[in-house]
Parts: sequence; C-alpha cells; structure tokens
Amino acid sequence: MTGASQPPVSAKEADARVAVEVKALQAAGKLAAARERFAELVGRHQRRALRIAFHYVRDAADADEAVQDAFIKAYLHIGTFREELPFEVWFTRILINGCLDRIKARKRRERWIAPTPLDPSGNERNPADYLPSRGPSPEDQVLASERRRQLNGALSKLPERQRLVFMLSHFEGRSSREVSTMTGLNESTVRVHLFRAIRRLRSLLAKPADPAQAGRRIHRAVR
Amino acid sequence: MRFADLILRQGHLSERTIVDAVMSGNRPAHLDRCDICASRAVDLSRWLDDTREIGLESADAAFPPEQLAAQRAQILRKLEQLDEPSRVISFPRHTARVDEPASGRRVAASWVAIAAAAGLIVGVVGGQVSARLAAPPASAADANLAEPPVSEPAVANNRASLKHDYDDALTLRSLEALDEITPRLVQTSARGGR
Repeated sequence: MTGASQPPVSAKEADARVAVEVKALQAAGKLAAARERFAELVGRHQRRALRIAFHYVRDAADADEAVQDAFIKAYLHIGTFREELPFEVWFTRILINGCLDRIKARKRRERWIAPTPLDPSGNERNPADYLPSRGPSPEDQVLASERRRQLNGALSKLPERQRLVFMLSHFEGRSSREVSTMTGLNESTVRVHLFRAIRRLRSLLAKPADPAQAGRRIHRAVR
Repeated sequence: MRFADLILRQGHLSERTIVDAVMSGNRPAHLDRCDICASRAVDLSRWLDDTREIGLESADAAFPPEQLAAQRAQILRKLEQLDEPSRVISFPRHTARVDEPASGRRVAASWVAIAAAAGLIVGVVGGQVSARLAAPPASAADANLAEPPVSEPAVANNRASLKHDYDDALTLRSLEALDEITPRLVQTSARGGR
C-alpha cells in the first residue's frame, strides 16, 4: 500500500519536532514564524504547567508568573534543547527551577512580612471562596471546596520535595525515571519521597474533622 | 514476596510494596491470592484517584479558561518584545553635533581629583613661602629677650585707670577728716539732755 497515511505521531515526538523547528526558525532569523510555532507548545503545555506550578508554589499569582517565565526561558534557550530528551521533561525542569527560586524568594520576603491570616483549620483565607459564582449547586460547591481545602491544607504540610514528587508522579502521571530527570533526584529517592508523601497525606486526610467546626465553615460559606 | 513481609507481616505486603505496585502498575502475584492485600491495594488506588481528581480540580479552578487565554497572549506579547525590542529614535543631527565635542573633551574623574589635590598643595606651600619671605629675619634669642611691643592706646588706658584710683583715695581721705570734725548724734543729744 503505497501512499498510506503516516503512523500517528505521539505527543512527545510532535513536541520535539516543533521545538526543533522553532530552533531552526530562530537560527534563520524568522522570528515571527518561530513565535507562531512556539505558541503551539505554549497551548499544549500551559494547563499542565499551571497545575504543577500551582501545587508547588501554593499561590495562583506566583504560579501564573512562574509559568510565564518558564515559557519565556524555554523560548530564549531553545537552542540548548536536545532532541533525545522529551520537550516536556526539559520544560518541566525549567519550570521547577523557576518555582523553587520563587519559593526561596518568598521565604526571604516572609521573614519581614506579617503572615497571611489563616482560618480555623489552618488554611489561608481565600476571599473568592466566600463569593457566589455560577456552576453546580451551592451545596456541591461547598463540599467540593471543602475537599479541595482539606487536600490543599494537607499538601501544604508536606515537605517541598515530597510535594513535588507526589504531584509529578501522581497528578501528572510521570514515571519515577521521568520525575528523576525532571527534578534531578535519584530514582530511588523519588520512590522514597513518593511513598512518604502518600503515607503522610493519608494520615493527614484520615483525621476526622471536627464536625462542629466543619458545620460552622459550611454555614459561613453558604452565607 | 520479600522476606521481611513474610516474617514481620505474616505474609502480607508492606504498605510501601502496595504503593509501589499501585503507582508503577506492576501487580505482584500475592495480590491475586490475598484478599486482604488486594483490598488494601484497591483502597489505596481509590484514595489516589480521589486525591488526583481533587488536586487537579483545585488547580483548574484557580485558572479558568479566560485566564489561560490571557496568559498565553501575555507570553506571546513578551516574546515579541524580546524578539523585536523597541526602536531607539535618533535625535536630530544638530543636537548630536553639539554633544560630540562635549563627549570628546570629557575628563576622567580621577584626573579632576588629582588636579584639585595638586592645587591645594601648591596653595599651601606657596602661602608658607610667601609668609616667610615677608617677615623680617629675627634670631630666636632676640625673640625671647624682646619685650612685647606696647601700643599707644594701651598706655593711655593704664594712665586713666591710675588717675581714677588716686582720685578715689584722695576723696576718701578728705571725707575722713570731715567726718572727724563733724559732731556725732550721741554727743549732741547728751548735751541737749544736760
């Protein structure tokens, strides 16, 4: 069968091709075309990058900036991208390093700034949680919000590395080897961090919440 | 099955082995035989699924599609700015010509400092030399023996003060004599009483 359609290209291969094209276009001085091709990569990895950054830095605004910076760095240094490494892994490494820098900077800042007010469960208050919005019923919304808050609270209690490894392995579905490449940790260390993170999270989330407190919180949220 | 599992856990799998099995997808044969461990693996798997769902939900809730689109546009705008930086508008020629000689004559700050220090030293030395040349030469012995010159107004002042003291003394003495010849009130009253 001549002229048969080409075998489907995997997402990794497609990314690598686009990245190589961007590199070539940049080298040829066709910058507008390079940006246009790079926009494809942005669209494909933006959501994933935001999830990683959001769970790692624990702040939406910081995550937003970290992702923007990571894409800009990736574009500027795409000349150093090697085809044998998946673009996703290379980019995630850039993103993680950026997030780590932000966390360090925030810790330095927080030494001089009063801490953010916490609600009774120890989570940061998010005014958006108390505002009405469109979507599912208020009750479902409150329950979902409560579950998210609990998980976020538990995740924030994990050490940074455990949280990062858990997020990449579990939320992003990466193998230990991929996480190892992304984070620069040994594979065995990655597995240890993952196991400890799961064990700690389970124990944190298994603790029965104070029903009175939960009731108060739900009541307040509904109001 | 590991030896530790066999001895310590009565043949059941450790939590870590179950986590490894669930996360990697490599299902150990023991799970097919042991209902307890199979149930533990299922529980863990469900918990992980729930956690993943909630985790992704919370991240996605923080970034609605509109925000994603805005972010994407912002990234592309920044990239455009990097690729095509703002053009620098050149100033008119006249201004440029005026600036050129000034930039050509610019003197380094260090040279200005050196010149200032040299000027100061020359000033101090010159002042000293001129002061020495202007003063008459005098030996150290002469300087010790010589009395300090007294000026005319000082002498006049001294004389005036001496005269004043003498006058005061004279006045007091004449008053004492006068006082002696003046009759006392006691004596006068005694005479009257007689």
